[in-house]
Amino acid sequence: MNRDAALATAAPRALLSHATRETLANYAYLLPAAVCLGGTVFFPILKAIHMSLYQNVLIRPQDYRFIGLGNYVRMVQDPVFWLTLKNSFTWVFWSVSLQFLCGFLVALLLNGQFKGRAVFRTISLLPWIIPGVVVGLIWEYIYQPNYGPLNDLLRRAGWMREPVAWLSDVNLVMPAIIFTNIWRGIPFFTIMILAGLQAIPEEIYEAATVDGAGVIQRFWSVTLPMLRPIIVVATATRIIWTFNYADLIFVMTGGGPANATQITSTYTLMQAYSDLDWGYAASLSVILLVIMLTFTALYLKLTKGVESVAG
Amino acid sequence: MKDDASYASRRQFLRTLAASGAIAVSDLAWWEEPFLSPRKAHAATTVRFEFYINEPARYAVVQSLVERFNKSQSDVEVKVEFVPQTQAHQKLITAVSAKNPPDCCQMWDQWLGEFVVLDALEDLTERIKAWKFYRSTVPAAWQAVTVKDKIVSFPLSITTEGIYIRTDRVKEYGLKMPTPDWTWDDFLALAKGLTKPEKNQYGFGMRGAGKWAVSYATELMYGNGAQVLKDGKVAINSPEAVSAFEWYIDLFRKWKVTPPSAPTDGFRQIVEGFARGITSMYMHNSGSVEEQKKSTGEQKFATLPIPIGPAKKRAAFYFCETLTIFKASKNKEGAWKFLTWMMEDEQHYQFCKVAGNLPTRPSLSERPPFTEAPYSGFVKSYPFAIVSPYLAYAGWGGKLDSEAPPLLQQAIVGQISPKECLDRWADILTKNMV
Repeated sequence: MNRDAALATAAPRALLSHATRETLANYAYLLPAAVCLGGTVFFPILKAIHMSLYQNVLIRPQDYRFIGLGNYVRMVQDPVFWLTLKNSFTWVFWSVSLQFLCGFLVALLLNGQFKGRAVFRTISLLPWIIPGVVVGLIWEYIYQPNYGPLNDLLRRAGWMREPVAWLSDVNLVMPAIIFTNIWRGIPFFTIMILAGLQAIPEEIYEAATVDGAGVIQRFWSVTLPMLRPIIVVATATRIIWTFNYADLIFVMTGGGPANATQITSTYTLMQAYSDLDWGYAASLSVILLVIMLTFTALYLKLTKGVESVAG
Repeated sequence: MKDDASYASRRQFLRTLAASGAIAVSDLAWWEEPFLSPRKAHAATTVRFEFYINEPARYAVVQSLVERFNKSQSDVEVKVEFVPQTQAHQKLITAVSAKNPPDCCQMWDQWLGEFVVLDALEDLTERIKAWKFYRSTVPAAWQAVTVKDKIVSFPLSITTEGIYIRTDRVKEYGLKMPTPDWTWDDFLALAKGLTKPEKNQYGFGMRGAGKWAVSYATELMYGNGAQVLKDGKVAINSPEAVSAFEWYIDLFRKWKVTPPSAPTDGFRQIVEGFARGITSMYMHNSGSVEEQKKSTGEQKFATLPIPIGPAKKRAAFYFCETLTIFKASKNKEGAWKFLTWMMEDEQHYQFCKVAGNLPTRPSLSERPPFTEAPYSGFVKSYPFAIVSPYLAYAGWGGKLDSEAPPLLQQAIVGQISPKECLDRWADILTKNMV
């Protein structure tokens, strides 16, 4: 009787339920990645925000103090900052929009069947494969007014009498580097859109044809809607990259001449490492972060449901 | 078992490597011993040495000097870290801020003030004054490495600005080669005579990009009686300075004796433009003499001092490459041992011979090649050379990098007037007298 009573006693209840233990285990697996992310992303952001609230010029350690929004007030009054912001938007808008259009055209061409398609596909990727600094150096040489091949070709063709200083003329320099950036960025859109084109089922086009849709109607009603998620993701990614990464500008013009190609990210670098004004540089980088977060929030709002609509 | 073909290809590969190495050290014929890897002493302490200039010949000579030092003794092993010149300043600031600078490094004189204010450099005053070569070093070199009455660096080499001239072009166009006492008018006449836009040839390769562009313009302005500092106050926007600056940028705007790329031409563009024959004159220190000997040909160019200005004056700014020790160094004794070894006669001479800048001791600068024709323009500048006035305040170095070049470029391309440019520059300098 006692033995049966003992056997009938319920086992002690675990401290945590099975579901909770499983959840905790999942979080434990994520912890190392979260620590790395925190250390390399969130901590620097918080540190930059903290630094932006201080007067912190390295060669004036005696003036180090909390100034609140002082750096931001200075930024509002800084004409060079507004110029760099305008340059940044010009740089991003023209680069990305023309990269997208040209990339789309190339993707449409490469989606067709023709002899040597594999070779053309490989060649079209080359600008993307070459490192940005090398691209900048190559194009700096191409644009060289005195011995660069571009002016040489234009002169031989009779289209130019005096050498054009592509990177020294304040009116030409931004279009020149935007052209370089377009050349470099076309393969990115080509790859993304080509992958999307090849994923569109042929049956949909057949059905559209049977319904009497012409080439343009099929493009507008079938191709574009099916590609919308890819276009949105690729464009947003490219906008963020172009806004932040200034390797071409750094190599080709250094932000000159006369700040004509100075964008906010290069201006931030200059404030940090030439002027040694880390407080102001931190405030510039915080503003860049705010701009990108605003853009990302808008993008998420505008594209909500895009994937489900296309699917 | 490997076959003969693979052995042959490996021998070929090794021969190619050896040939490349031979080319790299071909200037180092003074090295009598074979070029072997360093002897690694068991108890040697390590010294981290950073070197910043990006030229193959300088890499080779510094590498060989370090190897030779390591072989010559067993107490200290120097590990040299080469950093691209364009990133050098930035990386050093980051390293100092992170309290992890190298033990010693090569540093330009313009940076010394900043790093003294950052309290990063070791005060070497007492040790250097007791050093055997202290009195035999030219006083101007000590001025360049003295900040707030402290000697913080060894002056490794010294030079001034001069004008490089293509003598073959002068001869080709039947022009008269100027004398060392030439004037601004002589300079302009020569530049006009050498300018043939239809042949893509220009008289003067103006440097419009970077802090050196501002420095060159300032040096020329001294010829009209301008000064950066006068009686302790900033005077770079005086009437004499404005009129001199107008003359200078008129070389681009009015006389068009410069290439159209002048507003953004930097060091590489002015040196290459000269070698390619695009330009027939340019301003630079002796650092590009050795390169021009190879690219242009020793017989085709000469150097002259900066021309005399309307005020019957001229100035050339000294430029010093220095070797310094950091306060945070974990091996200051090792660093001192290495740097004093680098400053010994043979090492000092060999480095300067490759770098093209003059040694800081007359006993060495009176040896070839420094006595030869291509260096004469710089040696003849010494009587009127001065330490750069932009070294007067640590706060000016960064502004010379960040705010001055865009202002200069705006004036060159006509966005602002010369007076407005200098007024704004004077304002920046006044606010940053740190």
